[in-house]
This record gives sequence, C-alpha cells and structure tokens, in this order.
Amino acid sequence: MSAESEIEQVRRAAAGDRAAQAALVHRHMPVIFRVSYRLLQDRAEAEDVTQETFLRVWKKLSEWEPRASFSSWACTIAVNLSRDRLRKKKPILMDELPEQIDHALQPDAELASNQAVARIETQIAALPDRQREALSLCALEGMGNKEAAEAMGVTVHALEGLLGRARRSLRATLNVERDR
Amino acid sequence: MIKASEERVFELIAAYGAEPGGWPEDERDAVKATLVADPDLFAEALAEAKALDAALLAEQVPDFDPALADRILAAAPKPKSAGALASILTWRLPARRWPAGATLASLMVGLVSGYAYAGNTTLVTYDASDEVYVSLFGEDTGLTWLEEGLVE
Repeated sequence: MSAESEIEQVRRAAAGDRAAQAALVHRHMPVIFRVSYRLLQDRAEAEDVTQETFLRVWKKLSEWEPRASFSSWACTIAVNLSRDRLRKKKPILMDELPEQIDHALQPDAELASNQAVARIETQIAALPDRQREALSLCALEGMGNKEAAEAMGVTVHALEGLLGRARRSLRATLNVERDR
Repeated sequence: MIKASEERVFELIAAYGAEPGGWPEDERDAVKATLVADPDLFAEALAEAKALDAALLAEQVPDFDPALADRILAAAPKPKSAGALASILTWRLPARRWPAGATLASLMVGLVSGYAYAGNTTLVTYDASDEVYVSLFGEDTGLTWLEEGLVE
C-alpha cells in the first residue's frame, strides 16, 4: 500500500468510516497478534494485547503522523503493552513454563516434522525478550530495519546486534541437534 | 557499482539472513556486488543463514479468535458529522431548558411588539399643528364645514 493511500485510509478511519476501519483491522491485526503472541507465548494474552492495541489506536488515530508507517506505530504500541505484561509476569514465569517434550520418543515422520516446528518455536520462545522482539519484527514479519528499530525504540545498529545474537543462538541450537 | 565491505556483508548475513529481500534496502545492491565478486568467501555463511531461514519459516503461531476483529471494530470511532450535529442541537435545545427558553422568547416577543405598537400610536394621535389649530379656531372638522356649506 502506498504511503498516500495509507494516510487517506487512516484519515477516513479516524472520521468514523467503517470500511476504512475494517480494512485497517484486517490488514494489521494478524501481524499485531503474531508479534504479541511471540513475546507473550500465550494466545489469550496476545488477543488481549491486540484488542488493547487497537483501543489505543482508535483513541489516538486522529493524532497519527505519517512520519512512521501505521504498521510500525501499531507494533510499537503492541510491543510496549507486551513488555508491560512480561514485566508483571516475570516473577512467576519460571513456575509456569510448560514441560519440554521428549522428541526422541516419537519416531514417526510427520511427528518428527511437527517436532521440528515445535523445536524452533521453543527456541524462539527461549530467546531474551529483546532478541525475540527483533527476530519477530524483522525475520518473521518482514519489517524493514528502520521500521523495526523505531517500533522497538532502538537504533538500527542496536537492532542488528540483537538480530545477530538471536540468529547465532538459534543456529547454535540447530547445529547441536543436527550433530546428534 | 559501489561494493560493501566484506565485514559488512558478513554482518548483514548474520543479522538479516540469506535472503536479499531481508537486507536493508539502501545497502542491498552494494552487498550483492560484493557477493558476486567473491562468492566462495560467503558461501558457508550464506548456507548457514539459509538453513536458519528455512527453520524460521516452519514457525507457527496459533489462530486468533475469529470474533476478535468484531470486538475491535465495536470500539472504533463513530462517524463525527451526525454526532456533532446532534450534540449541538442537544446543547442548544435541551428538554430541561424549554421552560426557561419559552419564558425568554415570550418576553422578547412582548417587548418587541409593545415597542412597535407604541411607536405607531404616537405617530397617529399626536401632532403639534393640530393643537395650534384647535386653540385658534376651536374644535372643527372638515365634515362640519362641509355640512354648513351644503345647508347654505
């Protein structure tokens, strides 16, 4: 979508145009949900954050300035809301971690493939919060580096550092599993 | 063609993976030029990054509740035009203000009509020349004078 048509769509949505509002929701809600889910690792909480993100979006829509894309603006809100929840969750998080599945007990090919998916998800979930945010926005949602850095409130240089560490950590785990 | 430094290419592959689409747009062409110039140098880094990219593609996120969009849209801003007009009317003519408004309107109608009536009456009944005429010639009307002439 061109910047001009996005500006127009947001302007119409702010004025109460239902079609423009629906278009914004259907375009951006899945991304916001996925980003929130990866950070929180909980579907219900990710839905809450997605809904809360849009409540804030609706409230501030008329103040939105096109210097940032709508997507990175909305993701900034979602990331901040997710961080708030993580901060509150942290003290009890360790008690709530699900048990790790013993992959060696399931030899079936399809199950093995599911396990591979589960493994990468588990590894992503185990990354430090900031690395997970960076990976989620750039590698998994395809956001540009400047946009992602803005959404996270860091410099592009810092974003690259976070991405590099996240990928190195995931690669190391993949290599260990491949060598088993 | 400007080329990126070898060190920068390794950094970008490590951060953004093997797909050129994921590299920063403003550096993409320079990175490609460096890769083409010495493909063997970056082959291992690219292969490792590619394997991780493929693993990341397998990542799955659960579906959200299909009613989530409806819940979000239910809280969206309502059209402003109708609401603004309604609020203006409500503010101007609220039900509880009718008695005071009606009293004020009656008072204004009374004042305006009273003033207009009083002005017209003065113009019709008062004339200083009539007073002078009566004091000189007494009460007389054109009708009386005409009647006398007819009798003669």
